[in-house]
Amino acid sequence: MRNSSQTKSILLCFAMMLACAYSVLAWSALAQDRVPIVTTTTDLRSLVEAVGGDRVEVISLVPAAMDAEEYQPKPQDLLRLKNARLLVRVGLDYDLWLDRLLAQADNPDLGRDGAGYVDASFGISVLEVRGLSVGPGHAHGLGNPHYWLDPKNAEIITSTILEALARRDPANVSIYEANRLAFLARLETKLSEWETKLAPLKARPLVAYHNSWPYFARRFRLDFVGFLETKPGVPPSPSHLAAILQTMRARAVRIIVREPSQPERDVAFLAGKAGASVVTLAASVGALPRTDDFISLFERNAEALSAAASAQ
Amino acid sequence: MSQAIAFLWPAFLVSVCLVGIHAYFGIQVLARKVIFVDLALAQIAALGATVAFMLGHPAQSPATYAYSLAFTLLASVLLAFTRLWATRVPQEALIGVIYVVAAAVSILLIDRAPQGAEHLKQILTGNILFAGIGELHAIAPLYAAIGLLHFLLRRRLTGAGSLVWEFFFFATFGVVVTSSVAIAGVLLVFSFLIVPAAIGAIFARSFATQLAIGWAVGTLSSAVGLAASFAFDLPTGAAMVCTFGGALGLSGVLYAVLHSSRRTAWRMAIAAARWSMTAILAGSALQLVVAPRTDQPVLDAAEYIFPSLRTIYLTRGEQSALADASEHAERYRTEAERLNDMEGRSRSEGEALDDFTVARISSLLRSYGEMRNGEQFVMTEVRGRARQRVRWTVSFALLALALLVSPGPWRRMWAQARVLRLKGRPE
Ligand SMILES: [Zn+2]
Repeated sequence: MRNSSQTKSILLCFAMMLACAYSVLAWSALAQDRVPIVTTTTDLRSLVEAVGGDRVEVISLVPAAMDAEEYQPKPQDLLRLKNARLLVRVGLDYDLWLDRLLAQADNPDLGRDGAGYVDASFGISVLEVRGLSVGPGHAHGLGNPHYWLDPKNAEIITSTILEALARRDPANVSIYEANRLAFLARLETKLSEWETKLAPLKARPLVAYHNSWPYFARRFRLDFVGFLETKPGVPPSPSHLAAILQTMRARAVRIIVREPSQPERDVAFLAGKAGASVVTLAASVGALPRTDDFISLFERNAEALSAAASAQ
Repeated sequence: MSQAIAFLWPAFLVSVCLVGIHAYFGIQVLARKVIFVDLALAQIAALGATVAFMLGHPAQSPATYAYSLAFTLLASVLLAFTRLWATRVPQEALIGVIYVVAAAVSILLIDRAPQGAEHLKQILTGNILFAGIGELHAIAPLYAAIGLLHFLLRRRLTGAGSLVWEFFFFATFGVVVTSSVAIAGVLLVFSFLIVPAAIGAIFARSFATQLAIGWAVGTLSSAVGLAASFAFDLPTGAAMVCTFGGALGLSGVLYAVLHSSRRTAWRMAIAAARWSMTAILAGSALQLVVAPRTDQPVLDAAEYIFPSLRTIYLTRGEQSALADASEHAERYRTEAERLNDMEGRSRSEGEALDDFTVARISSLLRSYGEMRNGEQFVMTEVRGRARQRVRWTVSFALLALALLVSPGPWRRMWAQARVLRLKGRPE
C-alpha cells in the first residue's frame, strides 16, 4: 500500500520533471530559432527588422527618444551583448561608448573582427569629412554620422545587414533577400511621395539647432543655412546668435528645425526674434509619437515640414 | 554690434535682478555655513518637475510648478531640521546627501521616461542669454516681495531663531533658487549667490555694507562678463562665471595689498609666482629627459611664441621637412574644405550631384584627411626626434633656468662660498 503510493508520487515527480524539461527545451528551441540581434539605436533596429522580419529578435541598447550620444550603458546591456549573435552599430564615433561595453561583454564574436560585428556605416558616402578625430558623439570628427536620415542610404545599410545575416543564418537567406527587396520597394514609392511633399521647401532656407540634417537635406534638396549650436554641448555666444539672426533676416528664413531632445526655450527665443516658426522633427525612430519605424519616421518629418511651409 | 547689444541688455537687467536677491541670500547662507544648499534645492525642484512629468503633466504647466514647489517646501522642512541633526555630522554633509540623492532619483526616474531628460535639463541649465523681458516681469515682483518680507522679519531670520523661521528661510530661498536656476543655470546662480557675498565679507563687517559691496561687485562683474562673452565670442553663462571667479581672486589680492603691509604682500605674491615657475621648469626638464617623445607643454608654448627657437635645435634638413609637411597639411585642409563647400552647396543649388559623385567626394575627403594626419605624424616625429637628440642640453638649460627663477637664497650662498674660498686661500 504504502509502497505503491510512494511509487506513484515518484512517477508523478518524474513526469512533471520530464514535462518541465520538454517545455524548456521547446521554448529554447523556439527562442534559438530567432536570431538574437543587438543594435545601438532604434533606427538600426527598425532596418534590421525590415530585413530579418519575424526570424530575428532585435533589441536596441539606446531606448527610443534618448540621446544616443549621452547614453550610459546599464548592466543588462552586458547580458544583451553576451547573448547576441549579431551587433549592428552606427559607427563614425557616434556610439563610441559601445567599445568599452564590448570589451567587458566577453563575446569575442561581436568584437571588431568578429563575424557578428556590423558597422552600418560601411559603404556609406560620408558627408562633411574633416579628417580629424576629435572625440565621441556629436563632435562629428570622422564626418557627419547622421547618415540614416537619407532614406536612400537604407539600401546600403540593409545590404550590409543582409550580408551579416547570411553569415549567421545561411539557411534563411532567401527569406531575408525577399524581405529586403519588399522593404526597398515600399521605400521607393514612399520616397517619391516625400519628394513631392517637400518640393515646396526647395526655395526656403532653414536653420537647425544641431547639424543632424546634411543627408536629409541632400536627398530632399533643402538648404540649411545655419545652426544654433556652434559646437555640441556648448551654448551659442551672443555674437554667434547675432550672426544667425542676421542670416535669418537676410535670407528670409521662416523655419527653425528642432529635435525633441534640444532646448525648447533657446529655439523659441530665436524664432521669436526672427519671426520664424519652430518645427520639431525626429532624427531617430521613436523620438516622437508616430515614428515607430524607419518609414514612418520620414513620413512624419515630411508631413511636419510641409505643414509648416504651407502655413506661411 | 548693436544687434548683440540688443541681446545683451535684457540679460543684463535679469542679472541685476538676480544679483539683487542672491547677494542677500548669499550673506545669509555664508553665515549659516550651508554653502551648497542652493544646489540641493534646485535639484529637488527639478525632481518635483520630473515627477510631474512622469504623471503626465506638460512642461511649464501650473501643475508642474506646484509639484516643484511642493518638493521644495518638503526639502525646506528637512533642511530646517538638519541644524538639529548636525551635532555630530556637519550640516553641509547632510545637504550634500540630499543633493546627490535627489539627483540620483531624477536619473532613475528619467531612465523610465527618456522624454523627461530634456525637461530636467531645462530646469537645471537655463541660459541667461535667452532671458527676456518676460522673465523679468515674472521674477522682479516675486523677488521684491520676498526681499521685503525678509527685511521686515530681519530680527527673526538670524539663523539662531526657532525652526519655523528656519523653515521660512529655506522655503523662500527655495522659491528664489528654483526660478533663478531655470533662467540662468546652476553654475551662474551659484556664482551670483556666493561671490558677491564673499567679496562683501572680505571687505566689511556690517551687514548693510557687505550687501552694498556685493551688489556693486555683482552688477559690475555681470556687465564685464556679458561684454567679454560678446567681445570674445564665448558662451555667456560660462564667461560670466569666470568673471565672477576672477573678481573674487582680484578681491583677495586687493585685500592682501590693503591689509597686510604692502611690501610683505608683494613679496609673498612674487615668491609664489617664482616657486610655481621653478616647479614648472624643473618638471618639464625632468619630463624631457625621461620621456622626450611625449607632449612638452612648456617647449611647445615657447616654440609657438618664438618660432625662431626651432632654428636652434633643428638641423636644416629637419627644418625643411617640417615646413614641407606643414605646407602639405594646409594644402590638404583647404582642398578638403573646398570639396566640402562644393558638396554642401550642391545639396540645394544648381544641379544635384549624383550618388556616384558624392561617393567619390567622400572617399577623396577621407584620403585628404588621412594624408593630413600623415603629415601631422611626420611633424611630430621630426620634432620628437630632434628633441630626443638635444634632450640633455635643453633639460640642463631648463634646470639652470629653474634654479635662477627659484627664490632660494642663492645670492647669500654665493657670497658665503666666496668668503670661504677667500679664507681657504693661503696667504
Ligand atoms: Zn550630431
